[in-house]
Amino acid sequence: MKKLLLLFFSACLISGCAGAAYESSLEDLPKADFSVEIPSGWWKPQHVNKYLITKDDAHLQYVLIQQRPIERPFKKTQKKLRKGMLPLESAKIILDEIAADRNILNFEIVENSPATIDGHAGFKILFSYRNKKGSEYKTLYYGFIKDDSFFNLRYAAAARHYYDKDLADFMRILHSFKLVKG
Amino acid sequence: MKYLALILTVLCLAAACATPRPISVDEALSAGNDESLLWRRAQEEEKVIDNSGWLYRNPELEAYLNKVAAKLKAFTDSPDISFNIKIINDPNLNAFAFPNGVIYVHTGVLARMDNEAQLAALLAHEMSHCTRRHSLRVLKSLKDQPRYMYAVQQSVEKIAMAQDLVRILGVSGSRAAVTGYTRELEAEADGAGLDLMAKAGYDPNQALNLFEHLRQEIESEGIKEPFFFGTHPSVQQRIENAGQWLATEYSDKDGGLINSEIFRFKLDKLVLDNARLDLRIGRFDIAQRSVEKYLDRNPNDAGAYYLLGEIFRQHGRLEDVKNAIKQYEKAIALDPSFPAPHKAMGLMHYKGGEQRLAQKFFETCLLLAPEAPDKAYIQGYLQKCINNGEES
Repeated sequence: MKKLLLLFFSACLISGCAGAAYESSLEDLPKADFSVEIPSGWWKPQHVNKYLITKDDAHLQYVLIQQRPIERPFKKTQKKLRKGMLPLESAKIILDEIAADRNILNFEIVENSPATIDGHAGFKILFSYRNKKGSEYKTLYYGFIKDDSFFNLRYAAAARHYYDKDLADFMRILHSFKLVKG
Repeated sequence: MKYLALILTVLCLAAACATPRPISVDEALSAGNDESLLWRRAQEEEKVIDNSGWLYRNPELEAYLNKVAAKLKAFTDSPDISFNIKIINDPNLNAFAFPNGVIYVHTGVLARMDNEAQLAALLAHEMSHCTRRHSLRVLKSLKDQPRYMYAVQQSVEKIAMAQDLVRILGVSGSRAAVTGYTRELEAEADGAGLDLMAKAGYDPNQALNLFEHLRQEIESEGIKEPFFFGTHPSVQQRIENAGQWLATEYSDKDGGLINSEIFRFKLDKLVLDNARLDLRIGRFDIAQRSVEKYLDRNPNDAGAYYLLGEIFRQHGRLEDVKNAIKQYEKAIALDPSFPAPHKAMGLMHYKGGEQRLAQKFFETCLLLAPEAPDKAYIQGYLQKCINNGEES
């Protein structure tokens, strides 16, 4: 019985290590027209095909960086981002898209203000919401339009403990963000 | 466990394609345990919805809807069910009933109605799902037919606009209520609903008018959403069914209560609030029609003119610029202390390169609303206007 237990724990450890080694990799992050410096401890979940990284688990906290064509339709709102839009206007569309999402309960805007990202005029939104189980989350969302693309960097985390814990890491990522084309 | 999964997952997904074996009301009523489980699940889901921030809070309007439901209830044969009508802040055309008598109606479908008789048609239909124990009958029918599970789930997933709500509600016994029942049960609720509204003294012809009105809107706008009676039968089929019912069951009668004026009075504010929701999801034309409908009755409402201006401005078409400005000017003329149209005028002039005009409007806006949530943007644009003015 002792031997069996030992074998079981060894197997668990081995499989755990193998998983961690794979998950801690940042190598398979998609190619992008931007560069960022990622602090140590963050990794990309293997099942996600986005520029998304987490430190503990994507359900607890994640940083997502996206470049999307401004013409690409949103899921909820039929409004579209346009070239020459003011940051206030593009922030409004993003807020409309989020507010119309039925997966987000008790949506509340904490802050909506202008921001500069890599020298580009954009916006910063901080909002909170709950999931069906009642857990509260916070998301800090930065975005700007450059030519035909909308760039956004968001940090989402469980409001309790995780949001404050890793906010500084996100700010480091945000401040290191640079467009590498155009 | 298998049984629980069956109840929670399959039976409640029961939406459209699968056609369960018809079960009589008496047979359904004999299944006491199943029904109490369904009611418990319904109560849990009710809590989730009630605490989600989605409810449209207007006690006076809720009281009115419940009064109409009470009028209908007096003619049902299920005095044991207490109906409670609640409103969900959602512009989509939908309504659904939980088996325990809680009925949720979206602002979207209410905003499209013209009178109380049309409201009665919708409520009578949903109430019939409860009084005829449709959730329970779906549960009983599918319990022995797991092969339907996959087909049913597939059919639900095709109803794109229903997915969010279904996801939130989880695997529970009331999904059928949200996504629609089978063709047979929907048809039964149609007939029972028409019968009920007629017994309560309402003009059942208004049900037909409502279907027709909604069909036109769905077609003209290309709306893909859960029409409030579910997906089967099709809206056209439903119109035909109602027409047939009226021609046979109601041919010897005429008229009935319509109550347009009280209905419009009670729903005025909702029409405007729902227009904001339509604007939020970018349904500009629908939003515009709703605001214009509201303004017909409330021609001195600055907020409505501002909203109309926002619809034109956010639509972003060149030809709408003048229209937007016209509406903002009306809003300011009606209520000069209303900050929002000043901000909007400032933004339009700012983007148009008219910095001096923009500066004037931004300054007024900040004066009227120094603590506006988006004041940091306005201050920034104002500063740029001032800087540019100094440079020139």
